[in-house]
Amino acid sequence: MIVASVGNVLVWAVWILAAFACLGSGVAVVSFSNPFYSALALIGNLGSLAVLYLLLSAEFVAAAQVLVYAGAVMVMFLFVIAYVDPRLESPWAGGPGWQAIGAVLAAAALLVEIIVVIGLNAGGSLAHSHDVGGSFGSPSYIGRLFLTDHLLAFEITSIVLLVAAIGGVILGSHSRRSEAGVEPL
Amino acid sequence: MVYGSWICLLSPLAAAVVITLAGGRLTRRGAGYLATLSCFVSFGAAVAVFVSLLGRDAEQRSVLSTAWIWITGGTYRSGLAVLIDPLSVMMMLVVSGVGALIVLYSIGYMDGEREERRYFAYMALFVFSMLLLVQGGNLLILLAGWGMVGLSSYLLIGFWHERPSAIAAAKKAFVMNAIGDATFALALFLLIQKAGSVDFGILGGEYTSTVANLVALGLLGGAVAKSAQLPLQTWLPDAMEGPTPVSALIHAATMVTAGVYLIVRTHAIFEQAPKVADLAAGLGAATLLVAGLVALVQVDIKRVIAYSTMSQIGYMFVAVGLGAYANGMFHLMTHAFFKALLFMAAGIVIHALTDEQDIRKMGGLRRLLPRTFIAFAIGAVALVGLPPFAGFFSKDSILADAMDRGAFGYVLWVVGLAGTFLTGLYTFRLLFLVFWGEPSAFVREHFHAPKRDLVGWTMGVPVAVLAVLSVIGGWLQFAPLWHPVETWLQSVAEPVVTPTDWQEGISSALAVLLGLLGIYVAWALYAVKTFAVPRFAFAQRVLEHKFYFDELYDALFYRPTVWLAKALYRGVEDPLIAESSTSLGQDTRDLGGIVARLQTGLLRTYVLAIASGAAVLAIVFIAVK
Amino acid sequence: MNGPNITWYLGVAGFLFGVGALGVLLRRNPLIVLLSLEIMLNGANLALITFSRHLDNGDGQIFALAVMAVAASEVVVGLGMVVALNRKRVPLDVDRLSSLRG
Repeated sequence: MIVASVGNVLVWAVWILAAFACLGSGVAVVSFSNPFYSALALIGNLGSLAVLYLLLSAEFVAAAQVLVYAGAVMVMFLFVIAYVDPRLESPWAGGPGWQAIGAVLAAAALLVEIIVVIGLNAGGSLAHSHDVGGSFGSPSYIGRLFLTDHLLAFEITSIVLLVAAIGGVILGSHSRRSEAGVEPL
Repeated sequence: MVYGSWICLLSPLAAAVVITLAGGRLTRRGAGYLATLSCFVSFGAAVAVFVSLLGRDAEQRSVLSTAWIWITGGTYRSGLAVLIDPLSVMMMLVVSGVGALIVLYSIGYMDGEREERRYFAYMALFVFSMLLLVQGGNLLILLAGWGMVGLSSYLLIGFWHERPSAIAAAKKAFVMNAIGDATFALALFLLIQKAGSVDFGILGGEYTSTVANLVALGLLGGAVAKSAQLPLQTWLPDAMEGPTPVSALIHAATMVTAGVYLIVRTHAIFEQAPKVADLAAGLGAATLLVAGLVALVQVDIKRVIAYSTMSQIGYMFVAVGLGAYANGMFHLMTHAFFKALLFMAAGIVIHALTDEQDIRKMGGLRRLLPRTFIAFAIGAVALVGLPPFAGFFSKDSILADAMDRGAFGYVLWVVGLAGTFLTGLYTFRLLFLVFWGEPSAFVREHFHAPKRDLVGWTMGVPVAVLAVLSVIGGWLQFAPLWHPVETWLQSVAEPVVTPTDWQEGISSALAVLLGLLGIYVAWALYAVKTFAVPRFAFAQRVLEHKFYFDELYDALFYRPTVWLAKALYRGVEDPLIAESSTSLGQDTRDLGGIVARLQTGLLRTYVLAIASGAAVLAIVFIAVK
Repeated sequence: MNGPNITWYLGVAGFLFGVGALGVLLRRNPLIVLLSLEIMLNGANLALITFSRHLDNGDGQIFALAVMAVAASEVVVGLGMVVALNRKRVPLDVDRLSSLRG
């Protein structure tokens, strides 16, 4: 439970640092030509996000983010990147030119719309957040929710994970037929 | 009597239907017998009707029998109706009688033909159509019979459909008849509009002179086309492509006389439109002359007789144009006898010479076909109009009627007399070239005598009967002394002109004289060959080209139509219609190709599509909300 | 709440989402594409957490955890495919992986 004891200034400073780190690493992920560097930038991104979660009183999620996302998923990524041929490609080339322009436009439009939608709909109500209790975001809070209100989501998520694990094993298995190179993937 | 009339009408139709439906189950000869029997039944019924009509007073001799009404609209009513009156009975007797004889003759003539059944079905259909025409109780039924007769003519001219010339001739006949049908129909429309009905009674109504002239002109157009008068005469010589009995029945005795019948039936209108009646007479006279001249140079035996038909119908048109309806009908009757006789005798000659029709190759058949020669000679003399044969009584009355008309009438009279000379000349030219002298080389090689079996009998008997009729048929009316034909038809069509006895005498004398002169000239040129046949190159060419009518119509109508059709094909059909249907498929395929380019197979394209779609949808949601 | 109010957080979340979308659409290496996808998911997560805090409702955090689990599974399958592709010596270029072309 990290509380801003020196008032707003500390919170703002931490926020600014974390936000910029987040955004910068996000841009870096997309920009680097070497996928290894991109993965490392993503780890940084995930870490700064965890800080932001902490600022939002979501301690359990922040911990899960660091442990699961930054810890397990990114390690998997790094394994695969290391396994696969690291080829330095020119990141922005390829594909029809109109697609690049279209992509930029679509992304920009989405961003603007999100802001507009939220701005229009929420308006003034976004200014004042509710006060939260002390146990908000704590593991017991999350655990109680998972096992009472959202039990179905909990169970289904575990099935999804199981299926993904099976899928990963199948995809990765060496079958003699696929080695012969007859069947496509 | 009413039943008799219906039996007369429907008997040939029944034969046609039975022959068609029986198909191969009926033998070929059986089809012939059936058709002949039906025509004789028809004739018997016609005789019965005639006899019963004789027993009535003149005023009661018109009976209309309606089978059912099928078109009604407001006050307009028309239906299947049959009229029994002196005129229609006269035509019924001629059509069914001569028709029966010719169908009997066909059994022998068409013996061995592969498609004999089809022939007899068509012949029965034709007899039915012609009877429908003459028995029709209103103008609509008359028009129906008119059209069907044209159809039967087309079917029979093109009977030997493997011959391109026959097909072309059939089409030509049909198209030219269609022109007449169109003018006839237009006249009918006008009548319906003015009178509200198509019954024969309306013809006597009062019409403005414009209407009467237009109606009469339309009717005349139909008559001219059907009867092969100027200017629609070019189809008749070509129609000789059909079998000889067809030429005898359709193009000599009955169908081509339908025009004359029409004018007599609708004479009330023509009397209200005197200019058109004069036009009819004038056209008849012109045709008479033209046909007579052209017949002088023809080398096909049937074509000479065809032009002779055209010429004689010209006489009939002169008669009815002048208003001498009974004389016109009388000439129609006698002409049916001797023209059918001539055709049938010619048919025997053609058969004997294995289908050769060129008279230049013939000669000297007098000794080889003596009876045929006698029959042909009787027909020829009747045609020229020498007493006491049939043509004399009828043709000379017509000439006398012309004298009663005034200045215009005298012109017609002179033309008619010239025609008599020409008739004598070309008829006996034909006779001498075919029958006189020594047998030619061709005849010696190819002649084979007709058989004396049933086939020969079926051909011989009708010829004999018609030969007798050609002799005595004219005795039915001798104008100055007794005229039962005129009296018979008086209730239907009162003659407009009544020549005096003096006029009759002069006309007859001159006509006979000129006829004999023509025969003598023919004798001199072709039989004993005292003089060589004179050759005027220009006249020869013009006559051989039949006064260039065919070429004129070709340039006036055929070529522009073909040009227009080709232009339309190139300009409209190909680019617009054909292209549109092929381009429909092509354009669809092209559109599909364009759309298929969206399926690039690249993941990024699809994600871009989703992202763009989401962006657009968000805008839409905001705007709607 | 101390510090910036939630609109700032939402701005960051939106920006992350946009950057991630750009990366998915414009990069050729499938690994980078997957990484960009992760960024997008994280942006969504941030928005969820933000609103959860704003409305004092724990459902947002639950949802964010579920998203994380699903993202992990998806990465497993995606990386499995990349490995399999690499084993087949297929060039790792999304522009060349177009055999579903229409």
